[in-house]
Amino acid sequence: MSVSTAAYDPSGPSGHLPSRVGEARLRLAEWQLALPLALAFAALFLAPLLLLVGVSFFNDDKITQPGFGSWIKFFGDPFNYKVIADTLLLGVKTVCATVVVGYPLALVYLDLPARLQRVLLFIIVMPLLLSVVVRTFAWIVVLGREGMVNQVLLSLGIISEPLRLLQTELGLVISLTQIEMPLMLLPLISVMSRLDPNLRDASAALGASRWRTLFTVIVPLSMPGLVAGCLLVFASSTTAFISQTVIGGVRLIYLPLLIWQQSLVVYNWPLAAVISLSLVVSVLSVIAALSYLGRRSSGHLHG
Amino acid sequence: MTRQPISRRHLLAGASALGGATFLPGAAFAKGGLVATTYPGSWEDAYRAVVTPALKKKDDIDLELAPLFAMDQIGKAKAARGAPPFDVFVLDPGPRIVAIEGGLFDKFDGTKLSNLSKIPDGFTDEYGVCVSAQVVGIAYNPKKVPAPKGWKDLLVEPWVSRLGLTGFQTTFGTSSLIELSKQFGGSLTDVEPALVELKKVLPKVAAVGLPAAMPGLFQQGQCDVMYTNTQTVATLKGKGIDIEFVKPESGSIAFYTTMHIAKGTSEVPNAYKYLDLVVGKEIQEALTKSPYNFVPVNKEVALPAELPMKSLDEMTKYVNHDWAKINPLRAAWIEKFNKEMAK
Repeated sequence: MSVSTAAYDPSGPSGHLPSRVGEARLRLAEWQLALPLALAFAALFLAPLLLLVGVSFFNDDKITQPGFGSWIKFFGDPFNYKVIADTLLLGVKTVCATVVVGYPLALVYLDLPARLQRVLLFIIVMPLLLSVVVRTFAWIVVLGREGMVNQVLLSLGIISEPLRLLQTELGLVISLTQIEMPLMLLPLISVMSRLDPNLRDASAALGASRWRTLFTVIVPLSMPGLVAGCLLVFASSTTAFISQTVIGGVRLIYLPLLIWQQSLVVYNWPLAAVISLSLVVSVLSVIAALSYLGRRSSGHLHG
Repeated sequence: MTRQPISRRHLLAGASALGGATFLPGAAFAKGGLVATTYPGSWEDAYRAVVTPALKKKDDIDLELAPLFAMDQIGKAKAARGAPPFDVFVLDPGPRIVAIEGGLFDKFDGTKLSNLSKIPDGFTDEYGVCVSAQVVGIAYNPKKVPAPKGWKDLLVEPWVSRLGLTGFQTTFGTSSLIELSKQFGGSLTDVEPALVELKKVLPKVAAVGLPAAMPGLFQQGQCDVMYTNTQTVATLKGKGIDIEFVKPESGSIAFYTTMHIAKGTSEVPNAYKYLDLVVGKEIQEALTKSPYNFVPVNKEVALPAELPMKSLDEMTKYVNHDWAKINPLRAAWIEKFNKEMAK
């Protein structure tokens, strides 16, 4: 008797058992689907990274004497702190410039009819379709001493001597702003185009000015896209070796130039490993801080 | 329909046919291919246009060219650790010594070249063979600035404000800075005077860039004077750019470009065929012509008028640098250059 009631009792533990097993199986299957990528990631990214860490703990370029020599050499030189700071600062400046130029463009995009949106999206993505070398050399033509900018300014009589734009940080930030712009705009647009258009009307109906609507409604809601864009632009601009060296020249010294010199010119791989890890750690810590701020702001919004 | 049972003999025949098939691609590519490095720019253009078709025609070898600067070749070969990504190196004297120290070359036997008697004595050794010479001096834009006379002129007006500089990353950059240093009391192993003098005029200097970026900067008018080799001048001239080569008063710098067989390659016979072709009269003559303007190493090839010398013997009077002495100092020089030139 008691056996039969237990068998028919829907709230009994046995009643849920089959579905739980199914759920667990499903979860296992999903986990297994990610396995090939996870293994590839471990083999192609994690293992070389660990090797890099290993190589950094050698004193000499022949990689024979283990020790902290390369770390002491790099961090014992105050010049290198300036290089790290300059590299991070370059990223911050580029992020600021892409936000200032890109955010209004994203707002314009939202208000355009669908056909023009497609045209604008193509224009935004276009820089990604060109090789970075071509984009960078195009900027030499634009910013050079005899480049477009100087010729226009000279012919308008605004300046009497050509401006020095190439080989300056200003020129570098201008070109990086264009080169990295798709990385800012694509996440921003994808988040902003999901915003409910009624929110803006509601805000206006409640008496908010357009600026107030922008700063209290649209900007906070687009924060996830903005943070993602900032992360991508920061990571990409701090490591943009070709743009940094070709447009900035070698008087502006950033970490990627030092890595290139040590790894491919003088073959001091332990030192190159130390510099690479410094770049990874310094860029990652800024990115971690940025995404923490991003999470906090969106948490504030929803909580 | 009757079905024949599969016998052990059938199975064996099938298996050996399958196994034999794996040898087929090998047979199809019996003549094989060869991956040789070349310098980006004039060298790549010339080798692609002249040497690749000639090697295919003469020995039926498919030549694949990998355009890489000398130091990048060594970086890649070292990174590959015994499995070289190419079969033949082309190197300048400094990187050559680095590669010899790194044991990257197969032992070279000059007697395997049929053209050995056509090249001057001493142009082959146990490491490789000289295939060309490079001459380094000053290039300027004749429409913008007068011709400079020597290295010292680079640091005074009107040249200094139009000067494009590169550091110690390349052979021509290092050699030029050494020569500049000598004008101010420095020597082969002391470049300090050059850096001191450069620092004094640094705010006026038009551009300090990577070697690979310099031709582009010159072309765009960002700088109108630079130190470089005759090949770069020839290529830019061929593109219609106003550029002339000057032999500095203290002499042009000359060095030989050598080719070497990579240790661990499986294409040794093809590599010798390639090297034999490269130093042969036909190729050397073609490469000496415009727009390539190579300096030939084959004694049967007449030197054209465009080259800044009349015979190969003149090269001995050119400035030569001992790279065994320079190499150990270069890492420190590069670091010093960074610090002195940094904004």
